[in-house]
Amino acid sequence: MEKDKAFMSEELKNRTTTRQQQPAWNPCGFMTEMSANELNCGTEQVGNYFFNPNWDNSMDQSDPFESALSSMVSSPAASNVGSGENVMMRELIGRLGNICNSKDIITNSTNVSCYSTPLNSPPFSTDPGFAERAARFSCFGGLNDPLRDSLKLSGHVNGSQTINNSTLSRSSSPENAESGVSKEESSVSEQLPGGNTKKRKSIPRGKAKETPSPATVDAKVAAENNDESNAKRSKQNGTVKASNKEDSKPAEPPKDYIHVRARRGQATDSHSLAERVRREKISERMKFLQDLVPGCNKVTGKAVMLDEIINYVQSLQRQVEFLSMKLSTVNPRMDVNMETLLSKDMFQSRGLLPHTVYSMEPTFPFGYQPQQGLALNNGIANTTSQQGFQLPQVNGFIDGNPQVGSIWEDDLQSIVQMGFGQNQAQCYQGSIAPGQVKIEL
Amino acid sequence: MRSPFSLKQEFLKKWILGLQRCRSSKKNMSIFERKKVIKLSADVAVASARKGITCWSRALIADAVKEGNADKHLAEKILGPASERQPTEKVPVGAMAYNKRIRSKKIPKRGSVIRRTIKCAPQAARPSSIVKRLVGKRRQILRSLIPGGEFMNGVSLIEETLDYIISLRAQVDVMRSLASASKLVNLN
Repeated sequence: MEKDKAFMSEELKNRTTTRQQQPAWNPCGFMTEMSANELNCGTEQVGNYFFNPNWDNSMDQSDPFESALSSMVSSPAASNVGSGENVMMRELIGRLGNICNSKDIITNSTNVSCYSTPLNSPPFSTDPGFAERAARFSCFGGLNDPLRDSLKLSGHVNGSQTINNSTLSRSSSPENAESGVSKEESSVSEQLPGGNTKKRKSIPRGKAKETPSPATVDAKVAAENNDESNAKRSKQNGTVKASNKEDSKPAEPPKDYIHVRARRGQATDSHSLAERVRREKISERMKFLQDLVPGCNKVTGKAVMLDEIINYVQSLQRQVEFLSMKLSTVNPRMDVNMETLLSKDMFQSRGLLPHTVYSMEPTFPFGYQPQQGLALNNGIANTTSQQGFQLPQVNGFIDGNPQVGSIWEDDLQSIVQMGFGQNQAQCYQGSIAPGQVKIEL
Repeated sequence: MRSPFSLKQEFLKKWILGLQRCRSSKKNMSIFERKKVIKLSADVAVASARKGITCWSRALIADAVKEGNADKHLAEKILGPASERQPTEKVPVGAMAYNKRIRSKKIPKRGSVIRRTIKCAPQAARPSSIVKRLVGKRRQILRSLIPGGEFMNGVSLIEETLDYIISLRAQVDVMRSLASASKLVNLN
């Protein structure tokens, strides 16, 4: 148990650091809008609400678990760093715009076309490398849904020639914060076709699969350049494996960018094209997985990454086991307090502060009303007695009636039920009173 | 965009509902039974929070109510009346044959795989085929880890893994917060 605790605290620390490094990336469930960024903010805030009141108390205990959690709580909020990066991105793109020396934004039409019919070719032929870079900018500019967009496109783009379309559509993602940025990028990309090929060619060739490093913006730009060139190359070469036959071509002939590029010397039949599209999709997803799994950034190659992913999934599953075992040993004595904590967690987003149990007065300095706490306890006692359990008085319950045993879950549900029944109530205290009156009758 | 807490709230809500539903009449369950109940309700809650969109969630629920499962009655109690179980109707037939996950599969060492390939045939010792073998073995292990993974091909496997990892993380976060909070409260 101790070993697992230490392991978990270690992992927490790792995850904290990775979160600090990658605050702006949002992987999605592939059809949901959940994002790891949200998760990050969520855990931090949940942790805040749980632990900030006990800050002074908990720091004395020198529990590595607690300290890890408090360090997680105290880690800087993701949104701050994300907004900082946004600012830097806009500066960078502003600089790029100055280079091209013209600011006419005619990309509205292209964006619209990309929205409506992703299968149509864009009206302008830009350098796909720069378009990809623009896509990466918008991806990494924070609060974006690269996975969702790419997945949405994968439904459209199956087996067809529109990989470049996919990148362009990705650059015109519907995020409001980034729409201006992406428009600028597309305009810039439009105006710099020639200069781009030069830039691209001069990028030093690295491995076929290089991971983007999200550390700083400059590093990002460089990494994205490398990443795009490598993605280009991998697209051409058709395989992402570390095999010897992956000699990248020096200069890609500027073909028609609507179709998938055919590798020089390889047959351009539909099979290999489709296969290449499939591999490209797989490598995209692997990149997202890389960002999701901590410690996977420095790793290149599919096999090692899959190793890490497998380890991570196994560790998460083991943690679930361990935590459920730990929760099953919870002492039923402090169930009432746990209920209030849970109700607090439930109603966080609605801004309703819970009413703590009166016995927790010293530990929860945030807003509580002792009278309401008492009323809450009475409500709890009454509901549980209504459910047919022999529940002694509230005082006796808190003092630790051993017969309460394993019915702590029922208390949990009772309060949650009360809360859910009234979850639309604006004022928590206002809603508890009628419920209590009803029950007592 | 959903609120930041949406996944965790969903999970917590369903978890508590599930716990309530399988509240047993006997007051003293053994600790292992309690753990089983907690874990099963948590898993089912996380899976149902996805509302049947992902393959792994459907497979998890299908596996829980499979005929040969020992805790089938428990899972059915957690899931509630049959009218609420819409996601399970979409389960493909093949997923019903899914068995329990293999918890800790040993990852084959790269050296052993290479040695084996070299022994088999000299032609197969080309680096590309070795890499293919390595990656394939790991894919197999990943498939065994993710519920319903045997029925996924390359791309969907990785998508499912992504979603599964996110859900697992949310689950672990919520459970850990609960455990720590209860521990803190206990100490006071």
